[in-house]
Amino acid sequence: MAQQPLSSAAQPTDVYGGDEVSALVLDPGYCNTRAGWAGEDVPKSILPSFYGHSTATPTQNYFGDERLIPRADFEIRNYMNKDSVVEDWDVAPKIWEHMLINRLQPDKQTPPSKNGLNDDPKEKTQDGEGDVAMEETENQEIEKLLQENPLLVTEAPWNTPKAREKTTEVIMETWGCPAFWLSRTPVLSAFAAGKATALVIDVGGANTSVAAIHDGMVLKRSIQKSPIGGLWLSSQIRSLWETSEPKVTLTPTYMVENKTPVDALAPVQARLRHFPYQIHSSFRAYEEERVLTEFKESVVEVWNKPGRLNSPGNEEFAKTLPGRVFEMPDGWNQMWREQRFKLTEGLFDETAGYPLPEEERVGKNQTIPALIRAALEAVDVDLRGNLLANVVVTGSTTLINGFNDRLQNELAAMYPGMKIKIHAAGLTSERRFGAWIGGSILASLGTFHQMWISRKEYEENGPGIVEKRCK
Amino acid sequence: MSSSDVRDVLNLSEGASGTRPNKKQRLAAPRPNLKGLAREVHNLGGDNPIAIVPEVTQFKKRRFANRKPASRWEMRSFRNSARNDPTLILKHWRRIEEKQSNQDSPAEELKQEDGTQEGQAPTQDGMEDSSFAKFNAQVSVPQYSDDQYAQTLTSDTWTKDETDYLLDLAKAFDLRWPLIWDRYEWTPPATNGEANENGDESKAIVPLPDTQARTMEDLKARYYEVAAKMMAVQKPVQYMTQPEFALHELMARFNPEQEKMRKNFALNAFTRSREEAREEESLLLEIKRILARSERFNEERRELYSRLDYPHAETDISSFKSSAGLQTLLGTLMNASSKKRKTLPGPEGASPSNPAPPQVPVQDSGRRESSGPSTGNREPPATGTPTTASKKGQSQAQQSPAERPKLTEKEEAIYGVTHHDRLGSGPTFRTEKINKLFSHKSNQQQLRINNTLNELDVPSKLAMPTSATTSQYEQLLGAVNSLLEARKVSDKLDGEIKIELAKKAEREKANAPPDSEKSKAQEDPSKESAEGAAATTAEAASKPGSTEPDDDEEEGDTPQNTTAAGAQTEEEEIGVEGKAVRPGSSGASHKRSASVLSTASDKSSKRQKK
Repeated sequence: MAQQPLSSAAQPTDVYGGDEVSALVLDPGYCNTRAGWAGEDVPKSILPSFYGHSTATPTQNYFGDERLIPRADFEIRNYMNKDSVVEDWDVAPKIWEHMLINRLQPDKQTPPSKNGLNDDPKEKTQDGEGDVAMEETENQEIEKLLQENPLLVTEAPWNTPKAREKTTEVIMETWGCPAFWLSRTPVLSAFAAGKATALVIDVGGANTSVAAIHDGMVLKRSIQKSPIGGLWLSSQIRSLWETSEPKVTLTPTYMVENKTPVDALAPVQARLRHFPYQIHSSFRAYEEERVLTEFKESVVEVWNKPGRLNSPGNEEFAKTLPGRVFEMPDGWNQMWREQRFKLTEGLFDETAGYPLPEEERVGKNQTIPALIRAALEAVDVDLRGNLLANVVVTGSTTLINGFNDRLQNELAAMYPGMKIKIHAAGLTSERRFGAWIGGSILASLGTFHQMWISRKEYEENGPGIVEKRCK
Repeated sequence: MSSSDVRDVLNLSEGASGTRPNKKQRLAAPRPNLKGLAREVHNLGGDNPIAIVPEVTQFKKRRFANRKPASRWEMRSFRNSARNDPTLILKHWRRIEEKQSNQDSPAEELKQEDGTQEGQAPTQDGMEDSSFAKFNAQVSVPQYSDDQYAQTLTSDTWTKDETDYLLDLAKAFDLRWPLIWDRYEWTPPATNGEANENGDESKAIVPLPDTQARTMEDLKARYYEVAAKMMAVQKPVQYMTQPEFALHELMARFNPEQEKMRKNFALNAFTRSREEAREEESLLLEIKRILARSERFNEERRELYSRLDYPHAETDISSFKSSAGLQTLLGTLMNASSKKRKTLPGPEGASPSNPAPPQVPVQDSGRRESSGPSTGNREPPATGTPTTASKKGQSQAQQSPAERPKLTEKEEAIYGVTHHDRLGSGPTFRTEKINKLFSHKSNQQQLRINNTLNELDVPSKLAMPTSATTSQYEQLLGAVNSLLEARKVSDKLDGEIKIELAKKAEREKANAPPDSEKSKAQEDPSKESAEGAAATTAEAASKPGSTEPDDDEEEGDTPQNTTAAGAQTEEEEIGVEGKAVRPGSSGASHKRSASVLSTASDKSSKRQKK
C-alpha cells in the first residue's frame, strides 16, 4: 500500500549528507539580495538591492520593494555596483541585517523599556508608520540574535580582497556570528546543479560571467565577465522603442492614474498622475525597469533556429513567425515580431542588435560564445571535454525563451567534435536563485562543519584569514 | 437502453438472446463494485463489461501506527574533531533517546553508550563529535629538512622557496593539479610584499603576466622529482615493497615532454572542425575499401599471370606453317593435352588453344608435367635430361633480360642470389642434398666413397654446410665418383686384358697340345658360355663396325659422360659384376649396358621428377 512516511519518532540511523546547524545563507546581487536558511530550497527573503533614500533631514533608508513608492525628496540607490561588488559599506550591513534578522528571525519580545507601551504618546506618533528604518541603537541586540547562526555569504568570483575583508569584519564584529564562510557564486551554482566540475554560465542582471569549476573550486584564470545581462537587454529594448516607428514612450505604472483600452498603435487615452513634489529620476528609472522586465518576460525571445538571426533567410523567416502584443501601462499596445529576436541577438553576436550609446556597447570578445571560448582556453586541455559535458546555465536572463537551444547551437558550432551537455534547471526559482540554493546545500552538509571559519580563528588571524581559507 | 437495443440499432444478430437471462445473473455479482458509472453506460458494454479499476472503499490508513506520545527532540551541541580549530561548537537537532525519557537520571550512562553506538564518540567533556569528522582525508606531501634539500633536491630552475611554495599549494589543493596550476602565482620574495600591498583587483581576475610562467608539466615534474627523491631518502630503493617501488618508479620516470606532446595532440583533436572530423572518418572508410579492393585485384592479377604463364617458343614456328606441319602440331597438341589433363584440371585444360610450344612431344610433355603443379612458380620449369637442361639454361638466358633486370655476378654474390634448375617445395637442408648423393649409392659404393674420403682426411658429414662448402663438397664427391668409376673401368679393362692374354695363351696351347684346353674347360665350366661369347666378340672386334662399343667404354672415362655414368652406377655395377663373372661376354654386356644406359637415364629422370 502507500509508503509509510518518515516517522518523526525515528531518527535516521544511516549517515546521510545533511546535518543542519541553523546556518544562514546570504547571496547579494546587483538586482536582488537573497537570504534564507540553509537546507531550504528557496530563499525566504528576497529584496531588491535597490533601496530608497530620503534626502530630507533626518535621512532615512527604506528597504524592501513595498516601500519604494513615490515620495518627496526620495531617491533610489543601490548598495552594489554593476560588477556585483558591494560599494556602499554603510548601507550594505543595514540591508543585510534587515533581511537576516527582521525578515528571518522570529519576533522576539521587546523589553518593556522599548516596546512602546511605556513611551510618551508624543514620541509614539513619530514612528507610527510601518516603514521604519533600522535604528543604530539596536546593534547590541542584533549581535545577540545572530550569535546562534553560522553565516555563509556569496560573492562574485572577482570580488576584491578588500571587500572580502570588510564583509568578514561586518559578520564577525557587527553581528557576532559563531562562524562564517565566503563562497563564490559559480561554485555554488554548480553545486545547485549537483556538479562539482562544471562550466558555469551565469547570465544575471548586471553582468554575465563564465567560469570553470574544477572539483568544487573555481579556476581563477578561466573567469570571464561581460556587462551583457538584464540591464544591457533593457537598454536594447529602450533603443528599440526609441527607433521604432512610431516611437514608443515609456510611462511607468506609478504615473498612470487610469486608462481606457485602445486599439493597437492608436493614441493613448490615459490620465496621468501628478505629484505635488519632484519625483527623482532614479525612482523613475527604477519603475521603468519594472516595465522593461515585464516586456522581457512576455515578449523577448532568443533566436533558436539553426544559424544566427542574420544568416541569410533567417530574418525573413523570423518575420513570418507569430508576433506578440505588449500593452504598456498607459494602454499603448503594439505587435512585436522579428524585433523580439533581434533584441537578444547581441548576446551572441556583437554586430547584431540595436544601436546603443558608446559606453554600453559590447566588444567582440564580450559576447557569450567569446566568453566561453576564452574561459576554456584558460584551463588545461584535459579538463575541457569534461567541462563541455557539464555546462551549467543559471541566472534570470537565461529564462528568456529559446536561450538554452541557442546556447546549445552556438556550442555545437564552436566545438563540433565534443560532447556538449547543458544543464539548466527547469524551475525558474532554481535558475534565479542558483547561487543561493548551492549555498543552502553547502551550508547544510555535515562535512562542511570542518570548513567554517570560527570566531576563534578570526580573532587569532584577523580579517586576513578569509584570503587564506576561502580560496 | 440495453445492449440488445444497441444490437438492434447496429443490425447485429440476436443469436445470443437465449443466454441473456444467465448473463444478467452473472453480471449481477461484479456490478456493485463498478461505481461512478451510470447503469446505461454499463449496459453499452454488452458481453464485454467495461474494464474499470474497481473503487476500493476504504478510509485512509492511520498515519502513525503507534499511539505513543510524540518523540522529543533537543538542540544538542557538538563539535567536529576534524577542524583545525576544534573549539567551534555548533548545534543541531537530535532526538532525545526514549530510554532517557522513560527512565530517570541513572540512565545517563546508557545514553552515552547509545551515543557511541551511533558513531558519535563523546569527547572528554561529554560533548559528541560530529559523525562527519571521519570523512576528513588529507593528502601527505613530502617533507624535507634544509639539509636534505641541499643534499638531494637542489635544482637549477627551482629555488627552495619556490619548491616550498609548490608543496604548500599541493597540500592546500589536495594535489588537484589543474587547481595548483591555476592558482600558481609565485613571486620572488623581494617583490612579494609589494604585490600584497597593492592587492589590486586585476590580480584576482587576470594573473600577473609571468615572464617565466611554469606549465603544469613543470610543476608536476618538480613535485614528482621531490617526492621520488624523498621516498628514496626515507627508504632506500632496494628495501621498498612492491607497491612502493612501483610508485617510486612512476614518479621518477615522469616525462614532462611526453605529457606536453600528448596535450598538443589533445588540443589538435579539440580544435578539429566538424568537416575535418567527418573527413577523417570518410578517409578511414575509403582506405579500408581501397585495401579490400586491391587485395581482390591482386588475387585476380595473379590468377591471370598464372594463366598466361606458358613456355615461350624457342624455335621458329615456320615448320608448322605448312598444312602438314599443322597436322603434326595438332597431333602433338592432342597428345600433350591428353597427358596434361591428368595433372591440370580446370582452366588449365583449355590450353590447347594456347600457342603450342614447338618442341618434340616427349620433351614438351616432360616440361609441362613439371611446370603444371607449380603454377605460381614463374621460373621456367626444369627438364629431366641434361641436354634439355642446358637448353633451358639458354632459354632462360634469352628470357630473363626481358623479364627482370639482370644482376651481375658480383651483385648476385652480394645479394645471395642463386639460380636453381628446380626447387622443391618447402624448406630443405643443404645436408640433405649431400645425404641424397650418398643414399643413392649402393652400400658397397658408399663404403668405397667413405674410404676414399677417409684417405683424403675429409669427414663424411660436413660440419658447416654453407652453400659454398656444399657445392665444393658436391664437386669433391663428383670427383670421387669419377675416380671410382675410372678405377672400376680400369679394373675391368685390366681383367679383360688378362682374359684376352689367357685366351691367347690357350690358343697358343691349343695349337700346341689339345689336352690342356679340355682340362681348362673342366676347370672352369661356368666360364664356358662366357668364353664363347668372348670369342664371338673377339671375332667381332676384328670387324670395323664392332669397335663402337669399345669406343663407348672409353668415352665413359671422359668427363663428358660422367654424370650419366654416375646416374647409372647401379646398373653398371651389375654389368660389371656380370662382366667380372663372365668376362668373355663383353660384347653382350656392352649391348646390355647401352640399353641399361637408356633405362637408367629414364629412371633417373623419373626420380628427379619425383
